[in-house]
Amino acid sequence: MATNSIKLLTGNSHPELASLVAQRLGIELTKIMVLQYSNQETSVTIGESVRDEDVFILQSTAPGEINDGLMELLIMINACKTASARRITAVIPNFPYARQDKKDKSRAPISAKLVANMLQTAGCNHVITMDLHASQIQGFFNVPVDNLYAEPSVLHYIRENFDVQNAVIVSPDAGGAKRATAIADRLDLPFALIHKERTKPNEVSRMTLVGDVKDKTAILVDDMADTCGTLVKAADTLIANGAQCVVAIVTHGILSGKAIESINGSKLTKVVVTNTVPHEEKKKMCPKLDTIDIAPTLAEACRRTHNGESVSFLFSHTPS
Amino acid sequence: MRRVQIFSGSSNPALCDAICERLGRAPSNCELKKFSNGETSVQVGCSIRDQDVFIVQGGGAKVNDAIMETLIMISACKGGSANKVTAVLPYFPYSKQSKKKSHRGAITARMLANLLTVAGVDHVITVDLHASQMKGFFSRPVDNLSAEPIFAKWIRQNVPNWREAVVVSKNPGGTKRVTSLADALKLNFALITTDKRRAIHDSALQSRRHSPVQSEHGGGHMNGVPVENGTNEKHGDTPDVPPKAASEKSHAGGAPDPHFRRQGLSTYFQHQRSGSSDTSSRLGVNTQYTRNVPHPDSHMSPHHSHHHSLTGISPHPLKEQHNEIPEDEEEEQEEEEMYNDDQVSNVTTGRLVQGHVVDDDYPSPSMTASMILEKDDEGNLNQMLSSIYSTTSSVVGHDSHALGGVDVDASDEDDEPQDHIERMITLVGEVRNKTIFIVDDMIDRAGSWVAAAELAVKRCGAKKVYCIATHGLFGSGTLEEMDECKCIDKVIVTNSFPLGEEVTRRYKKLLVLDLSHLLSEAIRRNHYGETISPLYSYYLD
Repeated sequence: MATNSIKLLTGNSHPELASLVAQRLGIELTKIMVLQYSNQETSVTIGESVRDEDVFILQSTAPGEINDGLMELLIMINACKTASARRITAVIPNFPYARQDKKDKSRAPISAKLVANMLQTAGCNHVITMDLHASQIQGFFNVPVDNLYAEPSVLHYIRENFDVQNAVIVSPDAGGAKRATAIADRLDLPFALIHKERTKPNEVSRMTLVGDVKDKTAILVDDMADTCGTLVKAADTLIANGAQCVVAIVTHGILSGKAIESINGSKLTKVVVTNTVPHEEKKKMCPKLDTIDIAPTLAEACRRTHNGESVSFLFSHTPS
Repeated sequence: MRRVQIFSGSSNPALCDAICERLGRAPSNCELKKFSNGETSVQVGCSIRDQDVFIVQGGGAKVNDAIMETLIMISACKGGSANKVTAVLPYFPYSKQSKKKSHRGAITARMLANLLTVAGVDHVITVDLHASQMKGFFSRPVDNLSAEPIFAKWIRQNVPNWREAVVVSKNPGGTKRVTSLADALKLNFALITTDKRRAIHDSALQSRRHSPVQSEHGGGHMNGVPVENGTNEKHGDTPDVPPKAASEKSHAGGAPDPHFRRQGLSTYFQHQRSGSSDTSSRLGVNTQYTRNVPHPDSHMSPHHSHHHSLTGISPHPLKEQHNEIPEDEEEEQEEEEMYNDDQVSNVTTGRLVQGHVVDDDYPSPSMTASMILEKDDEGNLNQMLSSIYSTTSSVVGHDSHALGGVDVDASDEDDEPQDHIERMITLVGEVRNKTIFIVDDMIDRAGSWVAAAELAVKRCGAKKVYCIATHGLFGSGTLEEMDECKCIDKVIVTNSFPLGEEVTRRYKKLLVLDLSHLLSEAIRRNHYGETISPLYSYYLD
């Protein structure tokens, strides 16, 4: 019987995370060349055999080059498929187009569904992702999707870094209430909610706080921070309501547009993101940024998927 | 046209405007933008329920963005209950990646076809696919239109003495495209091939075998060569010519062309600078293609060698040293036979150094270690792996060696000879004092065009050079390079890629022909369910 081992491939979007995962798994990254022709077309060459191997392709989506990253991922999947890989698992910690998941206006595209179809068309057999914007996206796929949670890592971080007795978990919008209450329950902390009235995407108008934050460390929890308009306004609201200091913990720190300037000029003491999205450059420009490493969770999910073990352990525990 | 909506992608709105103008309407309203994180957002601005939707997306600078935009637009229209969604993609992206090269490359074009299907496209209209086989990648109907009638019309109306012109293919893979235009205009054609490997340098021998090519006819005609003209000019003294070689050629080089045949082209390969003296002109023939010959010591090598060079196959790169080995007696026999041939020679070779044709006495670039490495039987593989091992793997515009390893289809590696390696470039056919049209499907980089033009003008005496291609991708610097090249007189492309007015004003040699007539007619005919085959004929005569 042929050996069937893990092959971890990565594109150009987030090589740091890939090497962390590979290190954690104790393997070398598979040699692959992903480059762009002068006409911007992406070309992929896999440098070693993947025949009959268990292939994992890790690709994050860096802000600004989402479409390039996605095409890279699709072409890599397709290259492995044509190279007779046994199983192809796409590890997409930050699922692209996750926010376009419903037909909220007439003739609006459900782009998340399109991306799901594209991944399957390219030849993907399994998807591992993290903190999907809406869990319904799992249902867009006809292949298994493991939606991992950053929550155990976040809990770990809160316990280590904050005075848990004097904190309150705050959700910056109604949609994130479930996520925030889950964390509050696990930490046995009070919970507050900010209601926001949204007029356009990436723009926030008015905010109302529900709950008590007086003289406490308010911990804002959300799944993604893009332009950070919500977080900055929420911080203002919380300070106005007597919070001692405001910290934001976000899974996907996309931090596009003017996010860095907004954070620097805001009342937030700290913004903690996971490394699902590359942000090393931004960290240099923004001292308030801090990182939670979720590579161990991803690596463990890959290992368990490969060995056919249960992944649900990771929903509540961090591999240490 | 009622119950039709035409949407424009963001990559080439001018083309869509032109199409809509011809159809007497305005492009339908559709808001395209990007979120600050780079995700594409599409909002269809008018009702499309139960209507015929056409989405026009030309080529553009950001290919991947354009693809995502097209897919999302298709998906939005399908989700908005459109009756039929047609993607109008004059340049089909990734069409160069239409086959599996060795070393686990992806067939991206096929994947893209599947992606379009999955997004919900019902019909695709495109122009001059890189390979027409790609139609088979789709499970939906594809109309592969041709820009050839547009070029043919332009040539008839604008080129003085076009009846005396010659159509030239700058690589063997594009021969079919070229013969088709040549047939349409009833012109002769010629073809250019570039030796993949570096030529042999032996300046010491240069003096011994030094003579201009053109004057050498009769000096060393290859007995087997008429075979690949598709003729029966077999000599009595070449009994070993296998008849199948002739049929092989007609497969490889496209339909046998009567004009080409009439030219009575007898091929003679002259390697004017190299080869050891004791092998004389026979070697003059053989060294030229040594690196292409599957088995150079066999009798039949001339046929095979030329056949392979024409189809661009270089399966067994030989080591340099071979040329220093004196040929055996059998080959000397053959050498005599060649002197019997008195056909006119019209094969011209030139040396290509750093992408330019140079004189025979140009100093040879010295051989470096890396070149010796490349001489290896697995040179391609070695180079590929070494570039993977090296950390700087993402070199933009790297040579195709690195992309696919051993190439078996010359049509895909036509561009950019490796700068530091000298190569041989050969023109087969007669172009002296003639206007030539170098034709291909796209202009991405300038290298092969400049080399072909320089060979035709400097070595073969062509009078005027027109470069004609459907898709002007024009990678960075390409237009400048072609504009500066003194051997190129005109560059003609269509507007499948957006080339603004200021570009056409800046580059005097550039001429952009309009595709919108073709596309609008295809859209109109598709909507009304009429045949589109008249669009392939010369309706503009």
